[in-house]
Amino acid sequence: MGVTDSLKYYWNVKVVGEPFLQWQRWQAERHPKTPSRWRTDILSPPLRIGAKTKELISRHYLEGRYANGHRPVAWVTSGGPVEILQALGFYVLYPENHGALCGVRKAVVEISGEAENAGYSTDICSYARTDIGSMLSGKTPVGRLPKPDLLLACTNICQTVLHWYRVLAKHFKVPLILIDTPFVYSEASDHALEYVKKQLENSIPISEQVAGQTLDYRRLKEIIQLSKDAAELWLEIIGRGRHHPAPISVFDQFIHMAPIVEMRGKKETVDFYAALLKELDENIDKGIGAVRNERKRLLWDNLPIWYRLRYFAEYLAEHGISVVASTYTNAWGELAPLMNKEKPLESMAKTYTYPILNQGTKYKLDTMKRMVEEFELDGVILHSDRSCKPYSIGQIDQRNKLIQEYGIPALLLEADHDDPRAYAEEQVASRLASFVEMLDN
Amino acid sequence: MKIAALGIDVGSTTVKMAGVNASGEMIWNHLEQVAPRVEKQVDSFLNKLKEEINSLAGIPLVATGYGRNLVHQAVKNVTEITCHAKGVYHQLGHGGTLVDIGGQDSKVIVIGAQGQVVDFAMNDKCAAGTGRFLENSAARMQVSIDEMGSVALSATEEVTISSTCTVFAESEIISMVAHGVAVEPILMGLHRSLIKRVVAMVRSVGLVPPLLLSGGVVKNPAIRKVIEEETKEQVFLPEHPQLMGAYGAALLALKVKQK
Amino acid sequence: MNMTIPPRKEVITDIKNHGGLVAAVLPIHYSRALLRAFSIYPVEVWGPPKVDVSLGGAHLQAYICSIVHNGLSFLKMGGLNIADLILIPHTCDSLQGLTSVLIDLIQPEQVIIPLYLPRGQREEDVAFLVDEFRSLYTRFSDLTGKHPTSKDLLTAIKREEMSDLLLTKLYKNRQQVGLSNIDFYRLVRSREYLPAEHFSTLAEKTLQAATEPRPGIPIILSGILPEPMEVLTMIDKMSGLIVADDLACCGRRLYAPGTSPDPFRRMAERIVYAPPDPTRGNSIEERLKYLTEMAQNSGAQGVIFYEVKFCEPELFDLPSLRAGLKEQGLASIIIEVDINNSLPRQVATRIGAFLEMLDS
Repeated sequence: MGVTDSLKYYWNVKVVGEPFLQWQRWQAERHPKTPSRWRTDILSPPLRIGAKTKELISRHYLEGRYANGHRPVAWVTSGGPVEILQALGFYVLYPENHGALCGVRKAVVEISGEAENAGYSTDICSYARTDIGSMLSGKTPVGRLPKPDLLLACTNICQTVLHWYRVLAKHFKVPLILIDTPFVYSEASDHALEYVKKQLENSIPISEQVAGQTLDYRRLKEIIQLSKDAAELWLEIIGRGRHHPAPISVFDQFIHMAPIVEMRGKKETVDFYAALLKELDENIDKGIGAVRNERKRLLWDNLPIWYRLRYFAEYLAEHGISVVASTYTNAWGELAPLMNKEKPLESMAKTYTYPILNQGTKYKLDTMKRMVEEFELDGVILHSDRSCKPYSIGQIDQRNKLIQEYGIPALLLEADHDDPRAYAEEQVASRLASFVEMLDN
Repeated sequence: MKIAALGIDVGSTTVKMAGVNASGEMIWNHLEQVAPRVEKQVDSFLNKLKEEINSLAGIPLVATGYGRNLVHQAVKNVTEITCHAKGVYHQLGHGGTLVDIGGQDSKVIVIGAQGQVVDFAMNDKCAAGTGRFLENSAARMQVSIDEMGSVALSATEEVTISSTCTVFAESEIISMVAHGVAVEPILMGLHRSLIKRVVAMVRSVGLVPPLLLSGGVVKNPAIRKVIEEETKEQVFLPEHPQLMGAYGAALLALKVKQK
Repeated sequence: MNMTIPPRKEVITDIKNHGGLVAAVLPIHYSRALLRAFSIYPVEVWGPPKVDVSLGGAHLQAYICSIVHNGLSFLKMGGLNIADLILIPHTCDSLQGLTSVLIDLIQPEQVIIPLYLPRGQREEDVAFLVDEFRSLYTRFSDLTGKHPTSKDLLTAIKREEMSDLLLTKLYKNRQQVGLSNIDFYRLVRSREYLPAEHFSTLAEKTLQAATEPRPGIPIILSGILPEPMEVLTMIDKMSGLIVADDLACCGRRLYAPGTSPDPFRRMAERIVYAPPDPTRGNSIEERLKYLTEMAQNSGAQGVIFYEVKFCEPELFDLPSLRAGLKEQGLASIIIEVDINNSLPRQVATRIGAFLEMLDS
């Protein structure tokens, strides 16, 4: 690591960047009059915490921008076991999260076009295409992404990441740590958990070598606890959706979930979610719902459609519909109870083997049914995501079973989480309209 | 007229035929809309030629294009990739990157310094990268094929067509028309959308200048302009852009004869 | 050459008549020996092509590949009714999804048995696969009431190793064997359903009958499988000769004989150290090296990447592989197909133009 790079990092991040972002947040908090881009006649004004979310995300990418040469950098899959890397002082970047950001900022067509021009098929995941396009061209809406010194791919969300990270490893010529998590058809076998634990163990010396320091187990325990605390808070936040009207919609969750994905294991992430929870509780006391006139409540299944968040939020709110829960945001909270700092590797092995995406279609159907009951929902929107096969396969039968066996109205919508070219405006609009009419009958 | 060899290109919309003399110059050609019975059409083609030059005996014929297997008179079948490369190279005298936008497919061919095919890419599974995409969409807006290029160029602004699927794009267009967007900017957006797909193919094989254009679509001025904008390269056209496949086939036939 | 390969139906009837059980096995890697030790005969299901896809389409989205669509359609048509169990290796997200949908939501009559394949070539990957095979052993014991000994297992393993050695030899002598592309692949792919000993006999006969080398523009075929098989006839007509392949159903399964005296370890090592395969997590560098050496050894001038549409494990590596091959002076082309459709004429044009390009 170089002195010049470290000086640059301190100057740009600590001296200039952080105070500026803080000031920006104060401004936003003191003068919340800056009009929301989203319609406030049907939706409640945005949560106050939004200013803090913006500060955290901006700072995260700012740190990344100056990280090379100052701190070791790892690129990690969203379901990756990040605690060991955090304990070793890595700056951790989540390409999927960056992909989502590109989706929200409507930059996917241009950036993934760079990958497509280089021969990457439009049939591969749009996150991967966006990331590879960004890697090849340097294009990103966040200024600059740091180059990785280490890659970590965990197959607990899909096999796609394995192939995607092979491409990154070849391009950047850096070590790739693979954490392979056998798929859980009903229950994980002992040898599967042992296998994951062994891989976690073996990842330590590689990470240590790249980081140039040895792992401090006390620090690892602290980080595991912080990860667990944040995840538990996140679960509570999601749980607040049980109130009528729900104080937070999934569209808010999609935005405020960034820290639980990319800043797990940090004290400020725990503080952030504690503050968010507090704000929700205040809103519950005041009877403020995310949707002003909440008449119907829905569940969202699968990834968000990042480039149409506002459209869905507003269209549904216009009809008094609040989407209050999702299997997707739930995934970052439901495993919290499995974390145990006294058995760091063992509990990590279990935690990272059991995400919803690594479990069978029955588990997902049961989760949907349970959430519909617990949150007292009127229906389910299943986003059939062209770019996420593991999440989407099974949805046709799941939808049928929801309707036929449980009497829960359900709609399957064909789209893609990041690529607007795979989204048929008119078709989606007419399906959504008929579903809304159906809910009222 | 001393025709030494013949080439026929049976495409998806037109049938083209070219005759060359012993030194490989094109001295005769003919173009017709493709008929449902291709075999019969080829027969009448050849009969017509026979009337003009008395006898076809000893004149070899090479067939190319999607219907090449239907030409039973041919001594050889060669793909249109090889024929286009051959024809364009012979006429222009140098290699480069050839873009051919046809009704059923679009192709990009990198032609080497000796006229050989170095690499190629084809878009054929998806209509959004072909001339058909433009034609269908223009027809929807009641603009004729011959006019669509100039109408597009008269636009003062341009809309973005984001869908890459023809079916989606069509509904996108319908909705734009329904929202009162004028025809010109939509047409310009359509050209851009098509060309972007073609340019992606050019990039995938790697552009070796100069950039050459052939196929029926070169009559459309907007195509040429948008390609130049998107690639930032000047575009060169052969003298008979639609006949390059047939011409290349005739040149190959000449080679058969010389063997 | 006059060679009769017994058809699939006949082989299955024969197995059943002799009291054997039939396992329908989906792509790609598993241990034939483990099944055989329990007198279960593997019959592989790669698609198959040209079935009524509306049956699978009732459960799977359009962006799932045709191998998975057709596999499910075939099952729904009753095509797998003869099977006593269905073994599905965990090859990719789509086969994972299919397995889960079958177990949880469709629930066919046959037992569905998943097999997880590790994504690396590390010691822990071998250890995991050893345990995975041990738990399959228990599963098969429960099913059949049989308890094959280590010796029984080793006998079964050696029988498969012999068959794989002969298969490898067929590939090494590809040109001398003198078969057309279609005949060669009919023979090689009969390994997908013939018991090892029968395949060995066929392979030996073919090797003995080998006469004069077959001419043709030498190429490599890479991808999952050569379906629809018409593509092979088409390449024959265009004077192309597939001198080596990197196909999941063929060349990627030329398993080397094992060395371990422990049967489970031996079965696991044979798969983990098999030729590079993206679905088992091999790096792009390993694949490129393997392909380049394959071209050098076989004299191939170009590679056709013959891909099933939507196959992510294949698609990610293609740009890097093609660029790497180009540096070595090897041309390549990508052909994408849906195994359920007959070959469009455009495919003929592409392959034809590619061969013309190599030949010039």
